[in-house]
Amino acid sequence: MTAAPYNYSYIFKYIIIGDMGVGKSCLLHQFTEKKFMADCPHTIGVEFGTRIMEVHGQKVKLQIWDTAGQERFRAVTRSYYRGAAGALMVYDITRRSTYNHLSSWLTDARNLTNPNTVIILIGNKADLEAQRDVTYEEAKQFAEENGLLFLEASAKTGENVEEAFLEAAKRIYQNIQDGSLDLNAAESGVQHKPSAPQGGRLNADSQPAKEGCSC
Amino acid sequence: MSENEASAAEGPGEAAEIRDASPTDTPDSSSPTAPDSLTDVAPTRKARRRPETITAAEVEETPKAEEQPAKTTSESTVSQGGWGYWGSWGKSILSTATATVATVGQGLTQVIEKAETSLGIPSPTEVSAQVEEEQKQQGSSPADDAGSEKDKAVGDGSSAVGSAMGMLSSLTSVVQSTGKTVITGGLDALEFIGKKTMDVIAEGDPGFKKTKGLMNRNATLSQVLREAKEREELQTAQTEMSESEKKVVAHYGMLFDEFQGLSHLEALEILSRESESKVKSVLTTLSGDKRVQLREELDHIKESFSLVEFDDEEVDEKKDEDGSEFDRDISEALEGLSVSATANKLSKACKNACSQITHMTQPEKEEEESEGDGNKAASVEEVHAAAIRSLAELTARSIELFHKLAETILFSSSSTDASLLSQLTVVLCKEISLLSKKFTSCLTTAGSNEKGDVLNPLITGVFLEASNSASYIQDAFQLLMPILEISHIQRRAESSEQ
Repeated sequence: MTAAPYNYSYIFKYIIIGDMGVGKSCLLHQFTEKKFMADCPHTIGVEFGTRIMEVHGQKVKLQIWDTAGQERFRAVTRSYYRGAAGALMVYDITRRSTYNHLSSWLTDARNLTNPNTVIILIGNKADLEAQRDVTYEEAKQFAEENGLLFLEASAKTGENVEEAFLEAAKRIYQNIQDGSLDLNAAESGVQHKPSAPQGGRLNADSQPAKEGCSC
Repeated sequence: MSENEASAAEGPGEAAEIRDASPTDTPDSSSPTAPDSLTDVAPTRKARRRPETITAAEVEETPKAEEQPAKTTSESTVSQGGWGYWGSWGKSILSTATATVATVGQGLTQVIEKAETSLGIPSPTEVSAQVEEEQKQQGSSPADDAGSEKDKAVGDGSSAVGSAMGMLSSLTSVVQSTGKTVITGGLDALEFIGKKTMDVIAEGDPGFKKTKGLMNRNATLSQVLREAKEREELQTAQTEMSESEKKVVAHYGMLFDEFQGLSHLEALEILSRESESKVKSVLTTLSGDKRVQLREELDHIKESFSLVEFDDEEVDEKKDEDGSEFDRDISEALEGLSVSATANKLSKACKNACSQITHMTQPEKEEEESEGDGNKAASVEEVHAAAIRSLAELTARSIELFHKLAETILFSSSSTDASLLSQLTVVLCKEISLLSKKFTSCLTTAGSNEKGDVLNPLITGVFLEASNSASYIQDAFQLLMPILEISHIQRRAESSEQ
C-alpha cells in the first residue's frame, strides 16, 4: 500500500457474475494480486477488489464487485448490479451446466444494468484443455449473437486475465470518448475526476485493440 | 423472468425516493440559531488564549467538589470561565451532524492547530496526560473499587476540561446523523475534540453556508466519505513531498477506502435502501388492523436500534493488552450469526493494532533515559500514522462486518435479534475508544520531548478520527434497521403461508 498512485482520472465499477465455482473470485484475485488462490472460500454476498490500470494512456481505477454464485444469494447479489460500467460474465469451460446457465445471467445483467454496460464473456479454466466441455467456437458464437466481448482465460495460469479486465475497460473508455456513455447519468458506473492530474495525452487515433476479442 | 423485470422496474424510482430519507437528514430547526450566536462568540474567541500554564499536576489540585458526572448542565458550564458561550450554540451546530463528517481529512492539522492556539481550550496533551495519570492512580490504589476510583480521576482531572466535556456529552446523540441515541454516555473526550474542529469550521464558514450545503444535498455517508477521500487523494497528488514524508502522513479517508470500507458501506447502503422501500410498499398494501399490527411489530424492532447504552467510563485502558478480550466479546456478540470469516478479519485487525502499540511502547520505556531519537523508538509521526491506520482498518472491517451481517440476514430465514447487533455496535465503539486512548498515551510518551504545537495536533487528530470512526460504525448499525424489518416481514409471510 505504499506509494500508491492516486492520480487516476476515472473509476469504473465492474461486476463479476456467473455460476458457483466457475472461478470468479480466483479471477479477481489473480487480477489484483497476480496470484492463484487454490483454496478459495465461497463468496458470501459480494466481495471487493480494486486495481488501477492504464487504458489508452489514462489511469483508470477499477472497483470490482465480485458477487456470490450460489443460487441462494441471487436475490441479494442482484441488488449490486445497478450502476456497473462493466460486467464479467464467467463460465467454466469444463462444466457445460455453467455455460447453459449463461442466458439467465445475461438476462439479469441486461435487466439490472444500463444499456451501455459492457459485458464480457469469460470462459475460465482454459488451462484444463483435457477436460474441456464447451468449445471455443460455440461460446464465441453465443457472444457474437448477444453482442458480448469474449475471451477464454485461466485464473490459474493468469492467461488472459489481465486482458479480460482491460478489454472491457477499453470498450467503456471508447463509449465515453464517442459520447455513447453519458458520464452524468446516475447509473453510468463511471466517475470522472477532471481535477486529477492527467496522464499521457490521449491520441485521437488510438486503435481499439482487437486481439482475442470478438468485437 | 418476471421477478427480474419487476426489480428492474422498481429501480430508479426507489433511489430518488430514498435519498430523501438518508441518514444524514438533520432537523432544520436547529440550524437557524447558529449564525446569531456566532457573532456573539467571535470576539470572545479572539481574546482568549489557551491556558498554557495549566498542567496536569495543577489540574490535579483542583477541588474534589468538581466531581461532577459528565452530564453537567450548560448552566454550570457558564460559570466556568465562559464555557457557556460554546454551550449556547455548540449544540445547534452539532445537530447538523454532517459537520463532523465534513471535516474528515480537511487539512485537519492546520484546522486543529488553529483551534488550539486561538481557543481557550485545554490542550489535548493535558487531556492525554490525564489519562496516564489515571492509569497510575489506578495502578497504585488497591483494587477495591476500580470503577469509582476511575470516576474520581476523571472528575479530578477535568475540572476545566470536564465541564467542557460535560456540556458536550449531551451531544453524543445528535452527533449521529440518524439521531438515535446509540451511545448515550460517553466518548466525552472524542466529542470534546470534535467540537473544537466544529468551532473552527464555524469560524471559517460564517453562517455555515457550506455545512448547510452539505445537509441540503442529503448526501449518504458513503458519498461524504468518498468526497473526503478524494480530497485527500488530490492533496496527496498535488503536494510535492519527499518519500519519507509520504510514508508518515496518514489519510484516514484514503486508508478507509484501501481497506474496502467505502465499498462495503456502499453495498450496505444499497441493501438498506432497497429493504426500506420494500418495507414501505408492504405497509401500503396492508390496511386497517393488519397495518397497525405490523407497524407495532416494526416499532418493536426500531426500539432496539435506539436503546443502546454505551458507557465510556467503563472503557479501561489497562484492559485487553493484546486484543484477545475484544476477540472474545466479538465472538460472543456474533454467536449464531454465520459471519466468522469477517469477524476473524476484524479480530486480526484489532490484535494487529494492539501489538503495534505494545511494540511502540516497549522500546521507549527501556530507553527512557537516552536522549534523542533513537532508531528503536517510534517517532510521533509514526505513532500517529499507525493510530490513524488502525482506526481506519478497524472501522472498515466493522462496516464490512455489518454489510456481511446484512447479507446473511437477508438470505437466511432465521430471525436475528436486534439487541445482538446493538451489543456488537457497543463492543466495536468501545474498542475504537480504547484504541484511541492507547494510541494517544503512546503518542504522549513518544512525544515527551516534542513541543506542544507538534504533539497536540497529532493527538487531536487521533481523537477526532476515533470520534468519526465511532459515528460511522453507529451509522452503519442504523442501516441494518430496514434489513431486520424486511427480514421480519418475510418470516411473517412465510409462517402465515404454512
